[in-house]
Order: sequence, then structure tokens, then C-alpha cells
Amino acid sequence: MFAKLKQSSQLFKLTYRTCQPIQISSKNYGVVTSEKDDLFLRRDKTSKAMKAYIDRAQQHDEFMQKQREEFEIGKRHLANMMGEDAILYEDQEKIDEAIQYLMPSALYDKRARPMMKPPEKVFPGRKAAEFDETGRPYSFLFYTGKPNFFQLLYDAVEHLNALNKFEDEMIRQQKTVDLAFKLELTGSEWISQNQLELKLVESIQPVEHRYFINTMNRLAEHPYSYRVKEFIEQYRKPLMNQQIIFDIPKPQLDQDGRFFITVYECLRKRARGDVTVRSPGTGKISINGQPITYFENDQSREQISPQKKYNSHCSIKRYE
Amino acid sequence: MLLRRSSLIKSPFLRLFSATAAEPKMNLDDFRTIETNPTKHSKEHIGKYYQIDDTIRKKLFAHGGIPKKYEKQIKTFNESCLMVRPQAIEIIDFIKKTDFSKPTVRYVLYGERGAGKSMTLAHLAHYGYVNDFCLIHVPYAPDWYKRPKECGLSTIHEGMIDIPLECASWLIHFKLQNIDLLTKIDAKTSKTYDWSKREQTPAGSTLIELVDHGINRAKYAADVIAALIDEIKIASTAGKFKTMVLIDGFNSFFYEKTRVSVDKKARRWPVTPDKVTITQPFINITNYDWCNGVCILTVDIIGMLGWDRESNLPRYLLGKEGFEHLDPFVPIKMENYDDLQFNSCISYYVNRRWIQNTEKGFDQELKFMSNSNPYKLMELCNAL
Repeated sequence: MFAKLKQSSQLFKLTYRTCQPIQISSKNYGVVTSEKDDLFLRRDKTSKAMKAYIDRAQQHDEFMQKQREEFEIGKRHLANMMGEDAILYEDQEKIDEAIQYLMPSALYDKRARPMMKPPEKVFPGRKAAEFDETGRPYSFLFYTGKPNFFQLLYDAVEHLNALNKFEDEMIRQQKTVDLAFKLELTGSEWISQNQLELKLVESIQPVEHRYFINTMNRLAEHPYSYRVKEFIEQYRKPLMNQQIIFDIPKPQLDQDGRFFITVYECLRKRARGDVTVRSPGTGKISINGQPITYFENDQSREQISPQKKYNSHCSIKRYE
Repeated sequence: MLLRRSSLIKSPFLRLFSATAAEPKMNLDDFRTIETNPTKHSKEHIGKYYQIDDTIRKKLFAHGGIPKKYEKQIKTFNESCLMVRPQAIEIIDFIKKTDFSKPTVRYVLYGERGAGKSMTLAHLAHYGYVNDFCLIHVPYAPDWYKRPKECGLSTIHEGMIDIPLECASWLIHFKLQNIDLLTKIDAKTSKTYDWSKREQTPAGSTLIELVDHGINRAKYAADVIAALIDEIKIASTAGKFKTMVLIDGFNSFFYEKTRVSVDKKARRWPVTPDKVTITQPFINITNYDWCNGVCILTVDIIGMLGWDRESNLPRYLLGKEGFEHLDPFVPIKMENYDDLQFNSCISYYVNRRWIQNTEKGFDQELKFMSNSNPYKLMELCNAL
């Protein structure tokens, strides 16, 4: 109850909640009837697919409702178990901490470990109705199987055509591109396949993802791409700053008035050590009380030798 | 010029210039000293190499005394040079100031492997030889218990094991070292030794005759050693000559195991050193119940046959019995090279063209890698 495992997306149909049905004007060659009559006549002609869909949708909604309630109650139970106030457990971090404490897991994959999250995060979304009661799909791309994906590509190409048109206008007016407006794409990259899948609520193949990126690149490389900045920004992910800002620890003073720094948990394979460097130093090295003879092997001694210029690890300049 | 120089003057420096036709410059290298007499060695000579005369070296160390690797180096460099270490100077100083009418003082040299204990012992043997000490020198005692060439149950002593060849070879070594002294001094045995119904060493025979008997009759060699030791003790106490006892790896006499065994099947029955006949005489001589002598012993971690080699210190290596036997003694720690000695060693190697690549910082690197341990330094330089 308190820990829910992620269920595979195959069990639930995906939902695209903000689906905008494309309005295609339909030429009615038949009898002119009003909408109300339409529905009245078509009431019994609700397609089986639609019926099935309605059932599933209802079930899903009920299910999610139930999970929501359980989650809410669960939070309070958790607070009770931890002996703390229930208000604290509105914070997701606190819940995570508590679950980690109660059910410690050494599983490698963090996603496999016990978790307690709101149901929206655990269960993937579903697409809203893709067709009306008669079974007629809203989207003109429904029969591609991935309407959202191809809709996206379609939009990109529409934008590209518009930009080309605009460019033609500019050239005709003999105006050049203002480079100040050029879209800055260096600090970001296109969203990954998984993220695209989540966004579109459809499964995407690697081929399709590459195709998507190629299309978007073509759009972004256009000199006037700043005009469709919002569209492009939707599908860009900012890159992490690769520099690791090294916090240089400050030296402390010991009793004799010498500065020293101790770095804990220095690693090499499975060895762990704490290194203390003192300044002003004598040049002596002591490892677990022994001098460099702690390492019987010549090669080990060479590795920490300050004389070796081509050490793969940084050399110690001054030592205790 | 060259002819006259090579025939007359035997200075160590001139050998350096013998290849060139230059004038002999008395260019005193920092790492060498002209003083070849260990008696005159003092603090100024610390860290310097002095040369042992080849004849003396062959006499003293023909059967051991200088570690084999160093002997190879001597052969390579074509000169037998020894570094004067501060511990050797210290002991020489103590010996000079000893009151020989008091019971013998025991000095125990200890230190990590390769620090220079055996080499110091060699230096002191040279000193003893030059100063007319009777040398009782055991080059490396653990060898007797590790690799005896031949061992068998003793016919004379019940339940003990005899290593006749080792005893005999030690007697040869003793004779070679001390023959000059003993012929000069003319010490005589105090009592008759009956070896068997027909063999006998009568009282009043020289010690050399006693030793010869042991060499000829290896069967009785261990007992000859025991007798010899007794006689030397008596003679020293009587004041006929001073004695210097030098034993390398003394802790092997007190270790609980040996690899001596009568037959392979009996290997599971561990033979302790006190069951081997050769042990007793040397334990005897390191007692303090005699005077006019000095004992310099080394305790060596390599002498421990097992894998329990935890510490270099005398109490651990000697064990309870050994420590009680030797107590009180003067412990002397053999240190690694200090800066002066290290630089001297490096200069020597460079001078001998042993180290060819003298780029900047090579000596710092060697110092770091070897931790200034003499043996390790030699090993590292061997690879270059």
C-alpha cells in the first residue's frame, strides 16, 4: 500500500490530454440534419471501439481516484509510523526519506527500489479520446498510428515553410538577417528519445527520434528561426555545466602552528585513505605509521613519487 | 711515468687516473677516505668509502662475511670499498674505551632489512683483525639451520643432531682468520680432550692443532668447536689475547624451528636449535662469564624461518630465552642512510660509472624510491 511499483505502460493506453482536434471542414453531401438529431440517431450506433474506450477510461479514472485517496491516507499513516506530524509529510522529500529508512534497499537501479509517490507520477498518462462516439477520429493523422508525432513533424515543416516565405520577403526588401536575434543553441541539446516519448505520450523508435532531430535541426538552422523560438524551446534541454567547481578546502592550524589539510575518503580502486598534508613540510611521508616501505612493490612507490612527471594522478607537491 | 706510478704507489685515487696520462692529482673525492686502518676511523670518516686490502679481505671473508651481492659489486668495481657507517664508529669507540678486565659486553645490532648490519659486522671484523683480536666470526648463522649440507644423528651426544660439514667448514674459516694471531701468541690447551679410544688432543697442544683435528675429523668437529670455545674463553680471561665474537643472525639460535632434519619423514618432528650440536658453543661464548673480549651480534628478521616476521626489534627476534640469555646488552640500531651517506653512495656509483644517467633529480627519485635503504638503493641501481 505504501510502496507502489511502477507498472509497465503497456497496461494502460496513453493519454494526450491537450489534444487539439484539427478542424477539417467536412462537406456534407447527405441530408441536412441538425446536430441534435444526429446524436439522437447515432446513439445506438456508438461504435464498439468507443464503448470499449469509454469503459476503459472510466476504469482508469476510478483507479486513479482510488490511488489518490490511498496516497493521501498513506502519507498520514507514514507520518504516524515515523512518529511525526502529518503536515511534514506533504513534502515529497520527507516521504522519500521515510521510505528509504523503513525499507532500505540495495538494488542497483534506483527505479526498482520501493517508492511512494503521487499516482500521477507513478502511472503514466493516457491519451484522451482520439475519436468521437461514432468512431470517427479527431486527428487527420490518426491512421498513422502516432498522430502526435507526425503532428509535430507536420508543425515543424509548416513553420519551416513560413520561415522560408518570410525570408523571401526579406530578400525582396533587401533586408539582411540581424545576427543579434539569432537563436542561441549552444547551451542546450534536443530532448532525448525517452523525453520525447513522455511528451508525446507515444512510443518513439530510435529511427523516428533521429528523423525528428534532423527535422528540428533544419528548422533551427534557418536564419529566421528566432521567429519560432517558443516552438523550438519546447524541445530543447539545457546542457549541464560540465565544470566541476572544485571547492578548495581551507587549511587549518594545528597546535605547533603549522597549517594542515586532511582530505577524507580518497579513493583508488577499493582502497580508501585519509591524507593529511602539512605546511611547512619536511618532505617525509608516513603511511599508516610506516615510511614508503609500506609499499613493498617498486611500482607502487613510483606511482606516488613526486619526481614522476607523467603520473596519471596529480602529484603531491609538498608532504608531511 | 705510468710505469713508476703503477708499480710503487698504491693509492686508491690513482687507479681512477690510470686510464689517462694526466699528472696524479691528489683530488680528494668527497666520498672516499685514504684511511684504510679501521682503528683510525672516527666521526670525520662517516659516510666515506675506505678500501680494504684484497689480501685481508680474502683472509677474513673467504667463507663469508660480506654479503654475496656486495661481493659481486666488489668484483665489478674492481676494488673492495666499504662505507664507514656511524654505528660502526660508535661500536669501535666503545671497544676502544672498554675496560677489558670486566665481563664481556654484548652489542646487538638490529634494524630493518638491508640497513647495513652485516656490512658493519665486516667492518668490525677488519678492525678486530688489525687490532689483534682473536676473531670468532659466524658469517651467517641461519644458514646452518636452513640449508645444512649434511646432517645426521650425533653419535656422541644422545638425541642431538650433528651437522659435521658445516662445523668443519667453520673451523676452516676460523683457522684462516686467526692463524697469524695464534701462531704468534702460541696459546695452548689447558686440558686433554679424548675424542675416542685412539684419538686424543693432549693438554698443552696448540689451539691450531685442536682446530686441525676438527677439520680432519668432521665427525668430532662440533665437539672441537665446543672445546675451542672453552679454551678461548680461558685464554682470554687469562689475558693471552683479546677476543672478538661476531655473529650474524644470532636470533636463529633461539628460534623455535629449524629446517634441520634427519630424514624427510621426520620433518614433522620439529628440531629446535638446541638439539643441534653446533648451537651450544656459540651460546656459551656469548655469555658474560669471561672477560677480555667483546661480542657483537646481529639479529636478523630473515633468520626467522617462518612467516611470522612482525618486527625487527631484538626482544621479538630473540624470543624470551634469547633475550634473557643476552640481557643485559647494548642495542644499536642500524639506520638507513642519512643525507650525507646517501649522497656519498650516489657519488661512488657515479664515479664507478655504475649510474650513467644523471639527469636532474635522479638522486631525489632514488632517495624516495629506496627510502634511503642501502640494500634497496643497490637493487634499484642494479636495474639501471
